[in-house]
Amino acid sequence: MQLGIGRALAAALALLVVLPWSSGATAQVAEIDTAHSVFYEAPTRTHMFVYSPSADFQVSPWPWLDVRGGWEADVVSGASVATKAGAAYQATHPAADVVTTASVHDFRNLGRGEVAFKGETTSLTGGYAYSTEHDYQSSSMHVNSRTDVLQHNTQLELSYAHNFDSICDRVQSSGDTSPTRWFALENSTGCFTADPTRTTHAIGIDTYEASWGQSWTPVFETQLTYTGQLVNGFQSDPYRSVVLGEGIKAQEYEPTERAREALTARLAWYLRSIKAAVRLSLRGYYDTWAIESGTVEAEFEKWLGESLRIMARGRGYKQTGAVFWSDDYTGGLPPLGPRGQYWTGDRELSPFWSWLAGGRLVWTVTPARGRILGIMESFKLAGSASVTGYTYEQYTLGGTPISNARAYIGTASLVAVF
Amino acid sequence: MPPVPSNRRMLLGLVLALSGCATVAPQQRAILADPTMRFDAEGKHEAPLRHAIDNREGSMGGTGVSGGGCGCN
Repeated sequence: MQLGIGRALAAALALLVVLPWSSGATAQVAEIDTAHSVFYEAPTRTHMFVYSPSADFQVSPWPWLDVRGGWEADVVSGASVATKAGAAYQATHPAADVVTTASVHDFRNLGRGEVAFKGETTSLTGGYAYSTEHDYQSSSMHVNSRTDVLQHNTQLELSYAHNFDSICDRVQSSGDTSPTRWFALENSTGCFTADPTRTTHAIGIDTYEASWGQSWTPVFETQLTYTGQLVNGFQSDPYRSVVLGEGIKAQEYEPTERAREALTARLAWYLRSIKAAVRLSLRGYYDTWAIESGTVEAEFEKWLGESLRIMARGRGYKQTGAVFWSDDYTGGLPPLGPRGQYWTGDRELSPFWSWLAGGRLVWTVTPARGRILGIMESFKLAGSASVTGYTYEQYTLGGTPISNARAYIGTASLVAVF
Repeated sequence: MPPVPSNRRMLLGLVLALSGCATVAPQQRAILADPTMRFDAEGKHEAPLRHAIDNREGSMGGTGVSGGGCGCN
């Protein structure tokens, strides 16, 4: 089955590449871009490092058709928390190995293809992506329709995506029907093979998005976006154990269903006096695990000359914890202690706030006459860097609080248009 | 076809009414077409940052629907 999907994907991508160059098609514009990103998370003992390269192409053989394809990867190395316990347990078990850090090495590969049919004021886009990791596989299909009305002053957009994902897990003993007796996955060896000690769980993800963009004046526009998502399936980290009591640790156990909603409002305002644009974004989020969050993001972008753009960005984020979140399920004063039938050691489900600051430079060259090096119509070189800090209100590493944990992200990209 | 709830009809009506108020003529759209005024002008460049942020927060939404794996260790 996996081979079948792989062959189908390869055939589809080959078709996408070959089709535009076949007889009768005249390529008007072709675009190639590549991006390279590094992520480094310094503290929390993880030293997580991720290198993410990508390469994409787009050809427009006719004015009404765009064909796109691409590849991206994540090369991950570092460590993650394998066994989670908090202050109460650590206080009575100071030598307990409650915060072991498991080595993580993974390689995510993703291939994607997309076709867009364009009219004067409408477009219809459909695409497919397939990705694979040592312990996770994903097939994703998406469609998008967009229309401009009222002299392009109003843009309406509807999108839908469905993921058919699967995640590797260990086979639990047939007698252990209670999740409190399940063991975490040791490593990804044998995943997605006939190994009898390994199994897979399905995850279905439906994502819906509706967007309304509006130009109000020659220098002011807004966008309102609603996003809904339904996730159904195994959502725990199969590698992570949580200490539940004296001598008891069990694989992380989270609900299998989650409904998520977000409403995002954006505005862009051009300030003529300083010839710069300000963009502001506000997002509210809620899900059925009782996580509520708010995000505010501001960007300031300005042209320096005719080919260089500089952008500065700030972002703030705050969320509440999931209803079943606890830093230590073994007990202790609130907010510690058991929280119903589920348990997690996931810091992303704990209450925290974060900040991000960054900047971006974009250098675009579009010659008025002729082509660059005789072949390129234009090219664009961009670089960005961001630093982000996380302050966890309850999450600890064996009782040690984590405040202002830093991560660094840098990206460089090149786009060439032929 | 099931009846559309009245609050949704009101919202749709409000959107259409507000949209009709906007009168930016095509020859006035030069600034609106500038990359600095577009919300996703550098979408591919920003994708790795969004991916990193999404994997470290309990939230999602507002940046498109296309998926493709986890990469979330």
